[in-house]
Amino acid sequence: MKLIKDGKRIDGREFDELRPIKIEAGVLKRADGSCYVEWGKNKVIAAVYGPRECLPKHTQDSYKAKLTYRYNMAPFSVDDRKRPGPDRRSVEISKVSREAFERVLFLEYFPRTAINVFVEVLQADAGTRCAALTAASVALADAGIPMRDLIVACAAGKVEDEMVLDLCQEEDNYGQGDLPVAISPRTGQIHLMQLDGIFSEEEFKKALDFAVKGCLQVHELQKKALKEKYENIGEVYGNE
Amino acid sequence: MKEIVVPGEKVDNKVESYVFKDGDSLYSMIFGVLDKRDEYGRIVPLNGKYFSQIDDYVVGVITEVKFGGYVVDVNSPYDAFLASRRKYDRGDVIFAKVANVNEVRSVSLADDQKLFEGELMEVSPVKVARVIGKKNSMLMLIKEKTKTDIYVGRNGRIWLRGGDIAKARKTILKIEREAHTDGLTDRITEFLNR
Repeated sequence: MKLIKDGKRIDGREFDELRPIKIEAGVLKRADGSCYVEWGKNKVIAAVYGPRECLPKHTQDSYKAKLTYRYNMAPFSVDDRKRPGPDRRSVEISKVSREAFERVLFLEYFPRTAINVFVEVLQADAGTRCAALTAASVALADAGIPMRDLIVACAAGKVEDEMVLDLCQEEDNYGQGDLPVAISPRTGQIHLMQLDGIFSEEEFKKALDFAVKGCLQVHELQKKALKEKYENIGEVYGNE
Repeated sequence: MKEIVVPGEKVDNKVESYVFKDGDSLYSMIFGVLDKRDEYGRIVPLNGKYFSQIDDYVVGVITEVKFGGYVVDVNSPYDAFLASRRKYDRGDVIFAKVANVNEVRSVSLADDQKLFEGELMEVSPVKVARVIGKKNSMLMLIKEKTKTDIYVGRNGRIWLRGGDIAKARKTILKIEREAHTDGLTDRITEFLNR
């Protein structure tokens, strides 16, 4: 299967082009904060609860809030039904994502409480952990939880010896490497980075550069989604 | 002049609340509204839980009867304790003052009184100030026009009894929805007069 033809990728994108992305904040009535993201063919939804009482009590931390992050793929999110429940991959993604947020949330402000983040992947097409993290960030902001920045994630990869931004499913399955990265757009600090594949130092630098540029573009969409939520309400008054 | 800010967004060095410093600049901690009305700006959150402040009046619900007093749900991640001689049952609604909040965020209440009958509603704690208004102006306006008895807790819980409760509820929800906009008092007056 040829992944690159005439300088374009199989879905027609340039090497440094993102897939189309839509972000909407505040979509779940019962959650304290929520966010729905469509990223290419990915569809993810994030829900945040908290800070709330941390139960079971023995897991409480007297000095800060306990953060839990659950990344889960719905059985219908992939071509071959995924058996429900956490698998090793989901547990790993949950762990590294949680650690990314632990570095930016002001957890010390809420001792003895819990902040629970849930992200469900409803439709998967590579890059779900990045879409999930991006959605979770917006959901945490939507919940009013204080943080040092809105973290954002994006992946880059290697396909037929070329570095490309934002792999789609075919590129991820048949390509040579995948590098998801999460950063704090304000400082450029890296909060999550994983590499699946083999890159030379040059290739790695190029991929990282692509990923960071991609992150910054997605960050603009995160900000827009949050700001839009309240700009619309202002005009609707008087319509009872 | 109001502007919506997100976490990590840079703000003027004169902004006072919900900001953190990194190097020489200030950044917003939260998703909120930056109000630059006077020389100093303030950031007001658009969402968030209630955290008890001393001298706040809250509307609470008794959840546990203990030996020395009661555990009260004040719609906060942290429960409150009421040491009182008065007799209450689980489920009773009370209006009380936050007497103290200690280093581990445990809250103690005082000046309790039971609220009989009536209905409860909840609004986001960050919007309560708007429901009360400057010097209680908004609240008095609602009470006058609907003839409803209303106790507003800083924790976002509101107790209502009598009068045109339905109208009072609708008005309060409208204020909550439009809390961040200008000209609200006029629109509410017009809404109540309909």
